[in-house]
Amino acid sequence: MKRKLLEHLFSAMVVTGVLLFFLFFFQYRSQQAMAHNMEPIRPFINLPASDFNDPFYRALFMETLDLYYPGQTDRNQVIAKQLFRYKEAELSSQLQSVQKEKGLTLKRIYQIIGMYMGFLSVFAATLALTWYGVQSLALWRFIRRKQRLSQPPNKAVDPKKKGLNRLGVMGRFLASLILFSPAYTLAYSLRTEFDTGSFIFMVTLGVLSNGLLINYTNKFYAFLMSESRKGYVETALAKNLHSDYNWGAPGNMTRAAVFGLKKRFPGHVLDAIMRNARLQYLPTIKEQASFLITGLIIIEMALNIHAHLCYELLQQLLYRNMSEVMFMVLLIYYTVKLTEVAADIAHTRKMQQYDN
Amino acid sequence: MIIDNQTISSNPPNSLPIAPDQKSAFNFGIGLLGLFLWNLFFLNGPAMKKVWGALLNTVLISGLTVVLTLLLALAAAFSLHLLEVTGRQKGRFILLFALNLIRSVPQIIGVLLGYALLSFLITNGVVGNGIMAFVIMACSLSLFIFLEVTDLLLDRIAHFRKSDFYNALRVCGLSESRVVGFNILWNNSRIHILNKLLSVFGMALFLQCSTDFILSVGLSRDAEVTSLPLSLGGLLAHIDSKQDILAMGYTLTHPLYLPHLFLQHLQGLSAAFLIVFTLYSLYKIGNGFSERHRL
Repeated sequence: MKRKLLEHLFSAMVVTGVLLFFLFFFQYRSQQAMAHNMEPIRPFINLPASDFNDPFYRALFMETLDLYYPGQTDRNQVIAKQLFRYKEAELSSQLQSVQKEKGLTLKRIYQIIGMYMGFLSVFAATLALTWYGVQSLALWRFIRRKQRLSQPPNKAVDPKKKGLNRLGVMGRFLASLILFSPAYTLAYSLRTEFDTGSFIFMVTLGVLSNGLLINYTNKFYAFLMSESRKGYVETALAKNLHSDYNWGAPGNMTRAAVFGLKKRFPGHVLDAIMRNARLQYLPTIKEQASFLITGLIIIEMALNIHAHLCYELLQQLLYRNMSEVMFMVLLIYYTVKLTEVAADIAHTRKMQQYDN
Repeated sequence: MIIDNQTISSNPPNSLPIAPDQKSAFNFGIGLLGLFLWNLFFLNGPAMKKVWGALLNTVLISGLTVVLTLLLALAAAFSLHLLEVTGRQKGRFILLFALNLIRSVPQIIGVLLGYALLSFLITNGVVGNGIMAFVIMACSLSLFIFLEVTDLLLDRIAHFRKSDFYNALRVCGLSESRVVGFNILWNNSRIHILNKLLSVFGMALFLQCSTDFILSVGLSRDAEVTSLPLSLGGLLAHIDSKQDILAMGYTLTHPLYLPHLFLQHLQGLSAAFLIVFTLYSLYKIGNGFSERHRL
């Protein structure tokens, strides 16, 4: 474990070093560029009573420049153009409340950290919900399969039930389409009906879209299946553990236990299968967290949800404000890294528990 | 062919047993054909060309991504294994470290940066929007997907190294690369790899469509997205497609509008359906495949 932690620490240090290098590099370059662009127009920025949106003031300013610096018409025109452009950029920046190519300031760092906290809370809530949802749904699917296998084959089916089954198949197909939808497809179709920026909407979309829930449910189900084929299951059966998967069977085989938080089946072979599958599932949390972050980034970027971290990241990429981009990427990287460390610690602890 | 109990019992007697993955592939084909015919009758020519052209581009880039992913994963797995058996621990540590760094970057961020680089190259005329653009897009996608396949290959190698046949083959004089490449990966793992490549195809398609959608919505300033090959995600971000998707939300509160969706909002609906249906079908095919081969 110590080695793994050191590896994580070293990796975090290298990435931090590289990203900070680029952050300061871009910061320095943008300041230099700004200073270079500002130099010729600096004396004219704070001219009193100058409304450069008004063509009259524009013409007046150019004529004044020609009067003060005669014989330098070309230079004067360049300065005037630069000043008008600067004033326009300043105005639109004020209107949109964004900083264009100004670099990372302390105020911006606080703003970004605030947005990051929001992102982190959505991430944590979504991860917790998927952790629960994945296990519950996979367990449900596993038990239902076992129940089907225990039924006699080719049982005559009531025509009414057949109709209901068809409806069920259609319903499952539609539900699957929703679960596989990329977040932007779902969110755009619901955009006019819901507040897409709300915490609950983001979490719901994070859990239900992008195939996250269904793919990891499938993974957990595969773990359950492979565990159920292992030799210890036979040993457990020889030791008289319960193996009936029908509802109400001994060993707490109830729907409440399947959808409960703890999922305990004392005296049933499923309990051992479940615990072993969970042990294998722990390391995949790292992969799941990374994929979840991908999903959340897609949601925020695609929906243009203002004042959210990933939307801001997209905006700053657009404005080539690379120092801010580097800072935000660093924060996202730390989120993934911390999740990886937490998953590794949890897995090692569990392994130690079983080793002893 | 191995067919599990469930498949046999779900088929009526005297009917041809069909494996679940083949059934899903057949359903996928039928679904695509149905949509194509519907589009042929009810979608205007230029829009139809756009939709099916976008599907072709998406499939081509995803296919290329699968090939590159496999090559990268084989290179990484072989290198790691050979470094381990030859005792070059430093080299192995450095390579593992580099791979773990890639792992810690969320895929979408990596792919977005790759696409930003592509926009830059197109803007500066270094590459056109033809085959090179396809290759660069596939490269940036595969770079952030190949680790999943590498993990699988390493797992398979580690699994077989524990068995007697590995040592027996080595004692017989077979080279390390022959044992790993032919006996372990080709002879004993190709079904597992094929199954993984199916999910890689799905992942590539998902990431590609999402990145194109995001880029089309707002990232690309210098290189217009129209200069990148149009994918289903990019098509969905077009204003007319977006309105089609918004119409779906409108139908939730105005159910009587439903028939209009299939006639008046076909471009966006077709693009969205193609993305979702392809992802769903790939999942079903992959599931069926692993069920058939008991993976």
